[in-house]
Amino acid sequence: MRTAVLLGFRLRQEVLEWSGAWWFLMTLVVQAVVAPLIGLFVWSAVYPDDPAIARYYVAVILVTLMTESFEQHTFSERIYNGTLSHELLRPQPVAVGVIGMNLAIRAWLTLLGAPIVLLTGIALQVGFDWWAVARSTPYLVLAAVLVFLWTFLLSLTAFWTDRVHAVVGFGSQLVFLFGGTAAPIGLLPDGLRRVAEVLPFYGMSGLPAEIAAGTRGDGSLGYQLVWVVVLVGVVMVLWRAGVRRYTAVGS
Amino acid sequence: MVATMSAVEVENLSMSYKAPVRKSGLRAAFGSLVRREYKTVQALDEVSFTIAPGEVAGFIGPNGAGKTTTMKILSGILHPTSGAVQVLDTVPWQRRSAFLKRIAFVRGSQPVGGSQELTVMDSLEYQRLLYDVPRPTFRRTLADLEALLELDPLLERQLRALSLGERMRVGLAMALIYRPEVLFLDEPTIGLDVTAAGQIREFVREYVEQTGATVLLTSHYMADVESLCPRLILIDKGKVQYDGPLAELSARLSPYKLIRISTQGDPSPFGEVVDKADGQWVLRVPRDEVAGTTGRLLQALEVVDLAVEEPPLEKVIDQAYREGLR
Repeated sequence: MRTAVLLGFRLRQEVLEWSGAWWFLMTLVVQAVVAPLIGLFVWSAVYPDDPAIARYYVAVILVTLMTESFEQHTFSERIYNGTLSHELLRPQPVAVGVIGMNLAIRAWLTLLGAPIVLLTGIALQVGFDWWAVARSTPYLVLAAVLVFLWTFLLSLTAFWTDRVHAVVGFGSQLVFLFGGTAAPIGLLPDGLRRVAEVLPFYGMSGLPAEIAAGTRGDGSLGYQLVWVVVLVGVVMVLWRAGVRRYTAVGS
Repeated sequence: MVATMSAVEVENLSMSYKAPVRKSGLRAAFGSLVRREYKTVQALDEVSFTIAPGEVAGFIGPNGAGKTTTMKILSGILHPTSGAVQVLDTVPWQRRSAFLKRIAFVRGSQPVGGSQELTVMDSLEYQRLLYDVPRPTFRRTLADLEALLELDPLLERQLRALSLGERMRVGLAMALIYRPEVLFLDEPTIGLDVTAAGQIREFVREYVEQTGATVLLTSHYMADVESLCPRLILIDKGKVQYDGPLAELSARLSPYKLIRISTQGDPSPFGEVVDKADGQWVLRVPRDEVAGTTGRLLQALEVVDLAVEEPPLEKVIDQAYREGLR
């Protein structure tokens, strides 16, 4: 209960904090929507008669905006500049601050990116089945959790290396390739598709987008949940090792 | 270790870490890809001391002596290589919530953490939630802090827009709003002008008087140490070189006192002349000869004014840093 109150307050704080950087947030919105827009243009040209392609990519844009994570910029920087020490000395889990900031940035990106999604949808005359959109909500929530865990996991490497941006950049490329942004995974060659369906990246973006677009009737929440459990486990192990290292050598 | 009457207890504390090293040049750079070499840096070496509840101790030493490392260990940020530490009967680096609510670590180099866009009042309100301070206590403490730190004009300002002196005042307010029992102050007046530094010193003194808090303070400014700390712990190269009253250190390091004398005559035969200007002389005289020399001066010369002074602490400490303690 106390953690929930603290998280709520932190979220409010971070929303306020980021309200002063709307121009910077706009650049993040642009960065987030560029890759799915390219996918949209390419695959719409390949399948001009399939309205599901446009619907799918509009959903991918929205999922991307709502699940973006930047822990390599926020959390890792705290390791590099030593201000993680402030967080370690607060009587609350460090994750409260990290999650609070993550949710605040996502809220702003969704708000600022909504006009882009809307305009794209109108321009391409995309129509959604709102029941399918409602059904995609739990998949979207788990996708948001997965993206956060994945980015946070890679950002924890800042305890050992000062090249965290390269590490997270590599991780983002995997999400781009196997998550359904470069191509809907149904369009990938058979072997790659099977690999993509097992890896966690499809659950971070393509799966909720396919359900919202109505191109897939049901999906496996279990597949996402298994990956949530796996990533939480790995994050916890890495977090403990990282803090042990940080508290052994300092900042 | 059993529960003690000390607020801080440090026993044989050592801290070492490995730092990568390599010779200059391309060859060494390629070599380090295969085999990295490390050098062990001994930051702290068997440091021991205790601080009683309510005591204010100055922790001084040259740059790199191990002061901040010790502070970080005592507050719980760092885990030592060996040794035992108890702060308020708790091992600090376990960072239990109950312990963290009873201590504060304020660094002059980073006085205020957290969101910089927030106002001071928003940040204080967050501290209230974080440290479970009941509202009536929060209001009372805030009123005290407002008065002591002249916070009123700052409450609605954003953290990022504060000057260095203001940031330090706010940093102290944020640390003290939950009334910690042990306060670690690392260079609290660094970079501040004379007035702002004086304000901070005055505030710390009043806070200690009011709350009976235990304070460990590091500073390179001897004015801080002189005005706040009856006890001094001097550390150098990771070892405690001196632990005791300030006056004793001064006497130990400087076997001389200064006699400042205003006279038309020539007092130079009575001691070593350190300074001379406008009829005012400063003589350096061995401590045990001060009384006799003063008597002879007053008999031999027409003295307008005479004062016996300790040598400036800055000089004493500088000597201790450069030459070590005898």
